[in-house]
Amino acid sequence: MAKASSKQALRTKFLAGLAVLGLGQAVLQTSVLQPFWSKNYSPAKAGKTGSLVDRSLSPDQMLFALAGFRELIAGILWVRADSFFDSGNYDAILPIIRLVTFLDPKQVDVFSTGIWHIAYNFTDEEQRSDRRYIPPAIALAKQGCEGNPETYEVFFETGWLWYHKIDDEYDQAVKYMEEAYKRPDIQPARKNLRSVVLQRAGRVEDGMENYYTLLEDAQKVFDKNPDVFQSRQNRDAIVGNLDTMIVRMVQRGFMAGKEGRPLNAYDVFPPFDTGFSVKVSVLQPRVVRFEGTWNVLPVGSRIRCVIKDADWDVFSKYPAQMNWEFSDDVNLEPPRDKTFMQEQLFVRNRRFDKTVDMSRDPTMYPFRSKRYLVEFYYNPRSAPPHIQDKFSWNGEGLADKNFTNTEIRPGTRVFYTYLELDKDQLLRKGEWQEKTPVTKTKNYVEVERTYIKGDQILQIPSLRSGG
Amino acid sequence: MFRPIFAIANATVGEAIRRKVLLIILFIATLFLIIAPNLGMLSARSETVVLKSMMLGIIQIASAVIAIVLTVYMLPNEVERRTIYTILSKPVMRWQFLAGKYLGAVLALGLMMSLMAVVMSAMFLVIKQNPSEAIKLLQAVAMYFVQMSLLASVAMCISTFVAPLVNFFLSGGLFLVGTVLNPVFDTMQKSGSGASWGKGLAQLLSVILPNFATYNIQNPLINPQQQIQSEASYYINAFGYGVMYIAIMLITGMLIFEKKEV
Repeated sequence: MAKASSKQALRTKFLAGLAVLGLGQAVLQTSVLQPFWSKNYSPAKAGKTGSLVDRSLSPDQMLFALAGFRELIAGILWVRADSFFDSGNYDAILPIIRLVTFLDPKQVDVFSTGIWHIAYNFTDEEQRSDRRYIPPAIALAKQGCEGNPETYEVFFETGWLWYHKIDDEYDQAVKYMEEAYKRPDIQPARKNLRSVVLQRAGRVEDGMENYYTLLEDAQKVFDKNPDVFQSRQNRDAIVGNLDTMIVRMVQRGFMAGKEGRPLNAYDVFPPFDTGFSVKVSVLQPRVVRFEGTWNVLPVGSRIRCVIKDADWDVFSKYPAQMNWEFSDDVNLEPPRDKTFMQEQLFVRNRRFDKTVDMSRDPTMYPFRSKRYLVEFYYNPRSAPPHIQDKFSWNGEGLADKNFTNTEIRPGTRVFYTYLELDKDQLLRKGEWQEKTPVTKTKNYVEVERTYIKGDQILQIPSLRSGG
Repeated sequence: MFRPIFAIANATVGEAIRRKVLLIILFIATLFLIIAPNLGMLSARSETVVLKSMMLGIIQIASAVIAIVLTVYMLPNEVERRTIYTILSKPVMRWQFLAGKYLGAVLALGLMMSLMAVVMSAMFLVIKQNPSEAIKLLQAVAMYFVQMSLLASVAMCISTFVAPLVNFFLSGGLFLVGTVLNPVFDTMQKSGSGASWGKGLAQLLSVILPNFATYNIQNPLINPQQQIQSEASYYINAFGYGVMYIAIMLITGMLIFEKKEV
């Protein structure tokens, strides 16, 4: 009897223990372990759409990967991507990049290469990038930065993407370069780029300050190791950069402008009328010719030209570009029904004449919308230094009589205008089958192609030669 | 109270290390660990990452198989060979018998995992000559040990009411589900898509079922540039979770075993 009641008591204790333990493990699991695991160890740490469930891992791959071999699978997949790079099968690399970054979000190499690959390697027959891939590249870059805050690499690559590929909105480039700069593992030579990016963002003095800081550091390294070639080279490179920058600041009248003094004595005065004019003709379906004038010295003069959908806010509300961050989804299928063509118009003899043939890439240029914007844009901040010596960083020396614009890029005088074409015109349909659609700026004058009788030629000053 | 438990545990360890099937699994795993560095050609650029992942993966899978095979036969064999009558006729309570068996299984598992960990560290040191990273990998093995102890407790609990073969698949399935559950639940939460009832079900399952993925902490060890805040406290909490869940499994097993006709 006593034995039975002791057993019953033990049983009761066990049941009570079970209840307490069950509750304890549930609380520990949901409030402590699950959030921490999700933050630090989860394979799918990839934003709102970073999901292994709704992406392309097959069930067997997923089980195998999640059962302890996910980094192994990621590594092997990434090596597999090599062979696709070699064979030029770029499409096949995209899902691999995505899978590898899902399985092992710490493979920095994959993020760096993936960002570059997505943003740069998809081109049309004339080697123009498919810029519809840039938003997913940026989304991937953001995920890479978020998941790998310990290293400078993904931040640097993201900054480079804004600086070099998008080549606009330099504040974004600065933001990521600043983050890269904070990381101790950044290579010394790469720190120089921060100054360049700061200048492009209009923060000229910050750029100079950065050079001084770098010089101080480089001098310390040099003093410690005066016989090491690399430390001497690094210091000398910074001295050269700083020297050139100070001369440029003086010649462009940067300090005078800042202090509100007249710029008459400087190279940016008088502001130069670039005399832009353009005529756009649709020669054949998806084949467009741009002719026009631009009175700037040929070498390094490139006008950005964009053809894009007029009725999609992601494109139309962003002059001469798109909303590059319109989605945080690394969607490797770009919006197939949208068209975004960006080209550079090279100037020769103060004139440009370029035919853009989009007919061989109908998937890249589907032209499904009704209306299209044809934009023309020049930002002095993107200009090469010798052109910038006339226009300066903020366009102080730029004054296109018709198209100067201070609104679309606040703080900078840029040149911007646009024309409109419709779908039928671009595809030569309907009434345009026999008639060549032509649209032009009001100031466009038909001229001989060989030479323009202009009365103004941009005189490019040379450094230290008195102009 | 504990003396019979230790005595049974001691005997269980002796039995376990004499079982050929376990030794074969151990031998195969060790062999794979030795040849793993030669599979570097699979991964030209990510050689170290793949090597670490492969070695840890081998240990994890082999340990899971050992944990299941070791425990699913433990009670049924005692009953089948009738040795249980000899033990229970002595002043040993059933719960003590079960606890002793489990403790013995965990000790044997620990011995085998230690051997694999030693081989892994030695091979890693020979190939990479990086002692600090080799030591770091042992953190993962330590977490796997808690994970496998949890798995052994699940198999032990189930062995009190089902046949070994069924138990083998049931425990293996639970291990798989428990391993996949966390990433799937996590990804469902992050994806923002999917029905709310699905998310609710996933949440419920992750609370009820043993969450083996908690112990898959190898990613930052494989990619050592990652720095995690408060990692030690996570390890302690994960250990605490393991102990609690093991206790739940053993108590449940004890309650069932208490009522079972043998």
